[in-house]
Amino acid sequence: MVDLTDVQGNILRGYRKPYVRYLILEVANPVEARRWLAASISGRSDSVPQITPADWGEARPATCFNIGLTYEGLRALGTPPSSLAMFPNEFVQGMTARALKLGDVGPSAPNKWPSPFDQPKRIHLIATIYADEAGQLGPVQQRALDRNAVTLLGFRDGHNFHGNFVHFGYEDNIMQPRFEGIPDPLRHPDMQPKAPLGTVLLGHPTNLEGLLWSVPQPPALGYNGTFNAFRVLRQDVVAFEKYLDQAADELLTHPQVGALLPSAAEAKICAVMLVPDRHAALRELVAANLCGRWRDGTPLALSPDAPDPNVDRANFDYVGDSRCPYGAHIRRCNPRGGQIVQRVANNSRRLVRRGMPYGPVYDPAAPDQDEVERGLLGNFIGASLGAQFEAMACDWLNLGLQDPRITGSDDPILGANDPETSWFDLPLKSGDTIKLRGLPRFVWTRGGAYTFLPSLSAIRYLGSLTT
Amino acid sequence: MPGDQGFWDRLVTKLAQCDGFKRVASWTLVPFWASRTPVKPLPGGPHPAVQPSDNLQCMMNLIMPLKVKSPIGRAEAALAIAQNKDAIYAGLNNVGTVHFARFVIVGDNICMFSVYDGDFTNYIRDFIATIGQVFNAVVELVEGGEEVLPCEDHVEAFIQWVHERDLYQVPDTATDFLRDQEALKGDTAVSGNDDLTLLPRQMILQLRANPNVSLGSGYRAYPGFSVAQVRKQLGLGW
Amino acid sequence: MVDATVAKQLVEAIIANLPEPVGKRRPVHTIGIGVKGKFVASEVARDYCVAEHFNGETFDVSVRFSNGLGGLHQHDGWSDVRGMATRFHLSDGNGTDLIATTLGEFFVRNVDDFFEFARIATLAPYPKRSAWQKFLDLLQLKVPQRDPYPNETQNVNAGALRYADGHRFAQLGVFQEGVIGAPVSYARASYHAVHTFMVKDPDGVRRPVRFSWQPVAGVSNSDPNAVPRDKYLFEEIAKRLQPWPARFMLMMTIGEDGDALDDPTKPWPGTRRRILMGTLTLTDVPKDQEKEGERISFNPTRLHDGIEVSSDPILEARRCTYEVSREMRGGCPFRWS
Repeated sequence: MVDLTDVQGNILRGYRKPYVRYLILEVANPVEARRWLAASISGRSDSVPQITPADWGEARPATCFNIGLTYEGLRALGTPPSSLAMFPNEFVQGMTARALKLGDVGPSAPNKWPSPFDQPKRIHLIATIYADEAGQLGPVQQRALDRNAVTLLGFRDGHNFHGNFVHFGYEDNIMQPRFEGIPDPLRHPDMQPKAPLGTVLLGHPTNLEGLLWSVPQPPALGYNGTFNAFRVLRQDVVAFEKYLDQAADELLTHPQVGALLPSAAEAKICAVMLVPDRHAALRELVAANLCGRWRDGTPLALSPDAPDPNVDRANFDYVGDSRCPYGAHIRRCNPRGGQIVQRVANNSRRLVRRGMPYGPVYDPAAPDQDEVERGLLGNFIGASLGAQFEAMACDWLNLGLQDPRITGSDDPILGANDPETSWFDLPLKSGDTIKLRGLPRFVWTRGGAYTFLPSLSAIRYLGSLTT
Repeated sequence: MPGDQGFWDRLVTKLAQCDGFKRVASWTLVPFWASRTPVKPLPGGPHPAVQPSDNLQCMMNLIMPLKVKSPIGRAEAALAIAQNKDAIYAGLNNVGTVHFARFVIVGDNICMFSVYDGDFTNYIRDFIATIGQVFNAVVELVEGGEEVLPCEDHVEAFIQWVHERDLYQVPDTATDFLRDQEALKGDTAVSGNDDLTLLPRQMILQLRANPNVSLGSGYRAYPGFSVAQVRKQLGLGW
Repeated sequence: MVDATVAKQLVEAIIANLPEPVGKRRPVHTIGIGVKGKFVASEVARDYCVAEHFNGETFDVSVRFSNGLGGLHQHDGWSDVRGMATRFHLSDGNGTDLIATTLGEFFVRNVDDFFEFARIATLAPYPKRSAWQKFLDLLQLKVPQRDPYPNETQNVNAGALRYADGHRFAQLGVFQEGVIGAPVSYARASYHAVHTFMVKDPDGVRRPVRFSWQPVAGVSNSDPNAVPRDKYLFEEIAKRLQPWPARFMLMMTIGEDGDALDDPTKPWPGTRRRILMGTLTLTDVPKDQEKEGERISFNPTRLHDGIEVSSDPILEARRCTYEVSREMRGGCPFRWS
């Protein structure tokens, strides 16, 4: 059992608040910064905002405040070198040094990231403020910016614009791992096994038999902490919609389109997705295949021919002849119980995803006048960056090593695609496929950092250091 | 050219080819230049790349010096492998990304040479999950092994330890090796003020810092395909 | 775009660096021999490229082997790049060319680089390095530079080295050229077309590829320490082809996203997928060498349906420079598709 008042919030359960602000901070003065940390868990609500734990007791707070520390941040705060040496390599090197592994090349390369992510060594803390109303963010930010302790390098705002929908039009956040020993208030029936707590918290048993990730010492520092890959992901909605048009154009006259979408079968799609005709239905079909869910959230594995609001969106697995493409985004990143090459790795690379869209909603009727940036502020949380986030990003998201039918191709939505060489197979009932080509890169990385999300005991420990 | 060479010419040519001179040069010239132009050891493993086929059929050349440098030590290592053969094969099958692997004893080293797909750390980590106890049995016999045993409790450190014993792969193109040396010093400029005639010296000094290296990334008869792709194509099940 | 004036300037820059004028002959690869043969594609070639010569039928082929150095004196035994220019004779008088050399990469990225290279790497006297200088080289753990060949008084090596020292992209090309040596036979060297081409498959998919000829007899170089012989390659190939033909395999490497498609200074690694596209069988050395060895003109951009050029700027430049040079020496014009 884990003490939920010791773990930071938003890790084991999401906040479900519609507004977020990320403050990218640099330690201005180590002594003052440590005082700041100690104040954040002191219980006094007059100065520094209080860290929100996983168990907030009776009253649900109006705003939630949490922090993550980079390696440079831990160093700046005066963490003893012997403790620093126990943090994993990828965290020490920082996200910018792992660019090749993560597919951050070309327009996504770290040397193209805007401020403040272009100075990774100065990013020490990333503080998050979650709120029910936009107006609540400012006051919390003011309290947090005690100028003697931390300097504000930059900030990013995100907000839910329509329930759980994200910029490519999909409904997100349908599934998150459920953990052993943690009550699940929303009670999703989920075919996936409950994840051991060590999937997401240091110091607990992991999914890999017998393996334990090293807990940075002293125990107060590392225990119940976790790692987060924070990424600012820009989504090119215009290019995505254009690609759906292009794919639908090709498919409309493709010799095998009858096997993909029999004539008149588009009626069901049109009814649920509220689109007018066969071309539009094909667009939705392609969007569904690229993701693995129809844009309304229906999983393809349960309902490959049309979206179905009556189907249980959480309760499925990739077994038998589910017609979810092997290369679809959600299947690539989380193969569940499906057959994969790395047999020991089923369910070992799971992630907690906490993301919020940023930027204005794209309206095809009123296209952007200028360059507008929109996308996702994503957090990919797991006890081991190397074993979970990175392992998924380099071998599964890109390269497609888990299934020989997709090896050599990248994730259609998130991957490092080049239209000259990219491809994606649409499965047909007969077992045949239609190969889509020319997918451009839809998502570019515009910043990010690896952060350590310390437990409240760790924050207390750091606040009490005296180097 | 032979024929029009004077006495001194012939002497110098003979000198360059004479084993004695090479030996003397190794004791005197090499350390001298190593102190004048120090060279750091280059990291092992394949060069990181985004191209899919650079992440398939990657070579691992693991050289682990034994603690007990004698036939007894070698026999212990041989026995450790032989006793765990079933575990090793099961592990290799289940990791699913290994094309070929073999353990070799060379001198007083237990070596593992393998061809694998994908990321090195994923491959070793999945291995620890399946055949951790074999690693424990073998690494116990290796110099410096105790600091990372048992490997299940020191996963990250063990992966780092293996990486440090994976050989540097000299690039197939001779001058790219100069780029590797420059990159280690943080020099990624497109052009510099280099001296190409120093290539032999740079190679000699690097081979002093990295005494064991893989020459090139290796020959592949059917490059660009993963284990599962080959098995599927040949109808063997994956 | 490389227009006619720039092309002329390029050719003139090359001619300016020649040891002597070559009159109505090629300014580089002056010395060469024409050879006839046949090409048959492998059974998979047509799955990757719809070009006619990959359809599996037997096609006549004209090949010209050459020594890279410009000038009228033949020095087969000198360390030098060799060329293998191939024309596949297609139906209806069409043809497609593939030009390859034993050097796997070029030493400049684009035309501007080439002009600068020509400016720096000029002919300079190449004296023998004294014994004392060689000894000093050994003490610095350098390899002493090779002695000049008999009758070799000047070359561009010093200038090329200076250029390479200042331009990292040129180092591989210059280094490889320095150690390339002399093959024992034109049929015992591997030739690389260096530039990327785009091939189209039956589904319309275009792939970036690079071609290489691999000799079935294997690569064999003559002893670099022995005295070089001036004339042996022509006799050798004629004699070799008498009892039985010599064969080359055409290997095609497929490039990937992230590879330098348009940069001829970067060879692609051996991890790329390699397709065996076909077999070239050289049968005989024709008698009319004036026609088959001299007047015949190749152009690396003379391609037929199914193969296109990439945006490689040197390949683009070669289109016009080869034309300009052909006109200057009265080479045979040919039909462009």
